[in-house]
Amino acid sequence: MTWTAEEFPGVEWVEGSGDFIRFDPDRCSACARCVKVCLGDCFEIAEKKARVKSLEKCLECGACWFACTDGAIDFSWPPGGKGYRSLWG
Amino acid sequence: MEEYDVVVVGAGFGGPVAAKKCAEAGFRTLMLERGERVGQKVISGLTIPFYGFLFGPAFIRDGNPPIERPADGIINYIVKDIEKGDIDIDDTLRVPKPLSPVLAFGYNAYCQPFCEWEADRAVESGVELRTSTVAVDVIKEDGFVKGVVTDDGSRIGAKIVIDAEGCQGILAIKAGVREKYTPDAISLADVYDYEMSKEDVDRIFGSTLRFCWGWDEQRIAPPLGYGNGLMVWPYRESLHFIQDQCLVTDAGRLPSLKDFDEYHRNITGGLDWWQEDIAPRVRLRARVWDAFEIFVGLDERLKAMPNHTDGMILIGDAAGLESTELCDGVPAAWFSAEMAADVAIDALRAGDTSSSFLRRYDELIKAHPIIQWSISRTNRHDLRYAQQTHDEKLLKRYIHDGWGLGGFKHVSTPLIRTILDSIAEEPGILTSWIRMFFRYYNNWHHQRFDGRTEAESEPVARTRGERVFKGITGALDRGLKRFGGPVKTVARFLAPASAAANPVMKVLLPVIEPLYLWLLKVTEAPAGRLSDRLVRFVADAHPSLFERPPTERK
Repeated sequence: MTWTAEEFPGVEWVEGSGDFIRFDPDRCSACARCVKVCLGDCFEIAEKKARVKSLEKCLECGACWFACTDGAIDFSWPPGGKGYRSLWG
Repeated sequence: MEEYDVVVVGAGFGGPVAAKKCAEAGFRTLMLERGERVGQKVISGLTIPFYGFLFGPAFIRDGNPPIERPADGIINYIVKDIEKGDIDIDDTLRVPKPLSPVLAFGYNAYCQPFCEWEADRAVESGVELRTSTVAVDVIKEDGFVKGVVTDDGSRIGAKIVIDAEGCQGILAIKAGVREKYTPDAISLADVYDYEMSKEDVDRIFGSTLRFCWGWDEQRIAPPLGYGNGLMVWPYRESLHFIQDQCLVTDAGRLPSLKDFDEYHRNITGGLDWWQEDIAPRVRLRARVWDAFEIFVGLDERLKAMPNHTDGMILIGDAAGLESTELCDGVPAAWFSAEMAADVAIDALRAGDTSSSFLRRYDELIKAHPIIQWSISRTNRHDLRYAQQTHDEKLLKRYIHDGWGLGGFKHVSTPLIRTILDSIAEEPGILTSWIRMFFRYYNNWHHQRFDGRTEAESEPVARTRGERVFKGITGALDRGLKRFGGPVKTVARFLAPASAAANPVMKVLLPVIEPLYLWLLKVTEAPAGRLSDRLVRFVADAHPSLFERPPTERK
């Protein structure tokens, strides 16, 4: 299955990407850097920790991972052929 | 376990270049791509500067890659007060007519078709391409990289791994070659792609890029951390619009990238030329973004990280080679891919892929004049300083030095050095360069992009113009063949003198520039007519005329 997002035309997401961004709550200081740098609105702060809200609009840029100086984010790629695909890249 | 001589990770701009070269040298080469289709995970279109084509891979220079539009100049809008429409213009960087637009300073391109075109050429040369495949880790034995592990758990053996993964560089971190970049080294490019008819793009933009610069408080461009800019690239039937933002601001804080929407609304809503000429004629068809490691070259610690380990070489963005100058990493990806392949081939032939052998790759990167210039330029840093001090004079000077004619004060040495080095290696490259500009324009005009890389017969000359072109390039080919030795010697002799080019331009440019701009102005009308004639000639000419004749092939 694939889906699109109205605010991000020209992109499709392919189902099956799994949890390719993971949080280590013990390391998270709830600084919300990941929330601020994510254009795909993938993160939220809940109970004084950041967590993945949804990776449905993730463009796999890694900004959250670069921005996290606590070492709380583990970033990898979705499995081959899954995740976003750009139609006008 | 499957075994290959070379495994290339990533089929972006650099990967196929390295893979193709290794396969042509007779080595069993596999290229992995995580997208279902090549180029799907590369999102930001761009202008690839001319030096990438001139000094990069021969199969691109002599081939017919898919380009969106030649780029022949930049109009910089320095927005002092957007509400009052108080805007200064610096449009000094342009290829002069009648040479433009046939001669371009770069070519605008979408990444997806371009990377796919490159990958197709690599496959034709014997590279095995495996899409929908992620290299999740390296296989290490006694600290030596011996292959990769893919996302389905397969282990693929390789005598050497060429890592072209991109700026995130996860595989390089896992291999212990590099560290994750700090946020101040990273910028996020936010891209809007607007559909527009070709007639409208031709009429309103031609082949000229438009960059907008403004003060932070106007909120029309992201406060980058180092610079400030909004950029519009005219494509064939679309406008590609980019703003980018460093992940760390001057105060060391992280900006909210969600402000991108507001900047975009403010700049497009506040510019009369956008509202009147463009807004009624465009439709947004894509909005994407990606991170890139634009400031690695300005950080000595990050810059000093190695680009190789036992059994593995890093190229392009994976090696931190993004240009701070132009927000563009394609030429450096091509140059490093070729150098990596050369070193890998030598290593495989010598039966030694150890770090001590591969070290020469890092030495080549450090000695490459254009790579070093492009990753080390401080123009964005300078712009940020002008922004902080709110010094209009400085802002204009730095824009002029980065995206205007002032650039020749710092680009002359690396360019002249590379031109001379290229001629010293192969004098015949001169005519390849001439033919490339003409062929690219002819291809663009006819939308003819394919796998042809060589003429099958002698160039066809039907008209007088075509006969003149064939005569000139043919004579040059013959002359360079006959006098190749002396030409090489002269180029080698002159090469060290290129070091003086930047200092000389620093002194001469303030004198030459006003005269040059005056000359362009007074010759505008006749030069424009000549340019139109040149365009008609190139568009109407038989395409074989601009390909390298079989008799001159190596």
